[in-house]
Amino acid sequence: MASTSKQYKAIGEDIWKGRTEKINAELFALTYGALVVQLIQDYEDYAEVNKQLEKMGYNIGTRLIEDFLARSAIGRCSDFKEVGEVVAKVGFKSFLNITPTVMHAGPLPSESTRSSTPTPSANAVGSSFTLTLDENPLAEFVELPEEALEGGLWFSNVLCGVLRGALEMVQMQVQASFIADVLRGDETTEIRVTLLKYLEEEVPVGDD
Amino acid sequence: MSHHLYLLSPSDTPLYSLTHYSSKPAQTTTTSPLASNLPSWSTSAFAGTLTALSGATSATQAHHVQGGTVRIGGGQDRHVIQMIANASLDVVEEVVRKDNMMYLKSVDKFNEWTVSAFVTPGNMKFVLLHEARNDDGIKSFFHEVWELYVKTMLNPFHTAHTPIRSPVFDARVRASAKKYL
Repeated sequence: MASTSKQYKAIGEDIWKGRTEKINAELFALTYGALVVQLIQDYEDYAEVNKQLEKMGYNIGTRLIEDFLARSAIGRCSDFKEVGEVVAKVGFKSFLNITPTVMHAGPLPSESTRSSTPTPSANAVGSSFTLTLDENPLAEFVELPEEALEGGLWFSNVLCGVLRGALEMVQMQVQASFIADVLRGDETTEIRVTLLKYLEEEVPVGDD
Repeated sequence: MSHHLYLLSPSDTPLYSLTHYSSKPAQTTTTSPLASNLPSWSTSAFAGTLTALSGATSATQAHHVQGGTVRIGGGQDRHVIQMIANASLDVVEEVVRKDNMMYLKSVDKFNEWTVSAFVTPGNMKFVLLHEARNDDGIKSFFHEVWELYVKTMLNPFHTAHTPIRSPVFDARVRASAKKYL
C-alpha cells in the first residue's frame, strides 16, 4: 500500500503527538553538546570523534527501528525512494519533530559495469537520497571553534549512524554521511544516504 | 559620543570589552577640567597626571596648566577609561549588597563619565561608561547583552568565565549598541 506524502506527514505528526514522554529541547541540546565536547577532549582527533559519533548512532539506530516500526505500523517500503520519504516524513518527525526535505537521486552511472540496463529503477544499488535539515535540535546554541572547523568535525554525525543502524535492521546496507553543515559555514545542513546493497537474512554478526 | 562596555566575571576578570561610538547627538555637558582647580603652586608632574585625567573627554579642549605643558585633551585615554571602570567596581559591590535589583542605574560619576552597571543572577558584572543620560536605552541594551551572554554560555564549546572571543557575539553586541545607544 503506497501512502502519499501527505499520509506520511500525518502519520509522523500523530506519532509525535502521541508520545507522552517528551524532553526539554535545551536539556537535550546541552546533553548532546557536552557529549561531543567530552569526546573531543578524550580523543583529540576530530576524524576519530566523527567515527565514534557514528558508532554511537549506529547502536542507537539498531534499537530505535523497533520502536519506530511498532508505533508507525508502516509496512515494507516498495523502493528506496519510499524509504527516503518515510525516513524524512515519519522517522525524523516522530523522534525529533523536524521534517527534512528529501531529494532523490538514481544510481550514478559507473564506468566499470556498462551493462545494458534500460532506465535505472529506484531500487537499484547506488540510489541515494539527500535530507536537507532546515533546523537541527542537536545543534542549538552551538558555535564551532576554529580547531573544530579545521579538523573537519561533523557535529551531528550521530544522526548518520542512526540512519545506518536503523536501515541495516531492515535489510538495507547504506552509507550515510554529512555533505554540508551550517555550523561549518555552509548554506544548508545535508545528509546523503546511499544504498550499498540489500542484505539477505543471515545470522547477525559481531555479537559472538 | 562614545560608550565603553566591559563584561566582568564574578572574579572581576574582564571577559569582553567594546567601545561604541554613537551617532546620536551628544548633549551639551559642562566640563570642568580638574586642572583649573589646581592652586598655582602645583608641580608640573602632578599637573601632567591631571591633564591626562581630564584628557578623558571627548570634546577637544585645550588645557592650560600653570607650570605644566599645554596639552589638548582630545580623544579618550584608554588607561583612564579602564581605571574609571575598575574604580567603580567597589561602588557596584556596595550597591549590590544593599539592593537586590539587576540593573543598577548610575553608580559612579567621574568628570563627565557616568558609570552604569548591571549585575546578572550569575554575578557577572556588565559595566558601561557613558557620557549622556540614557536610562531606558541603557537598560534595554543591558538586557539584550544579557540575553546574548546567556546564549554564549549555552554553547558547549565555551568554558565559563573565559574571555568571549566569538565573532557572532561581537557582531550582535555591536548591532545592539547601535540600536539602543
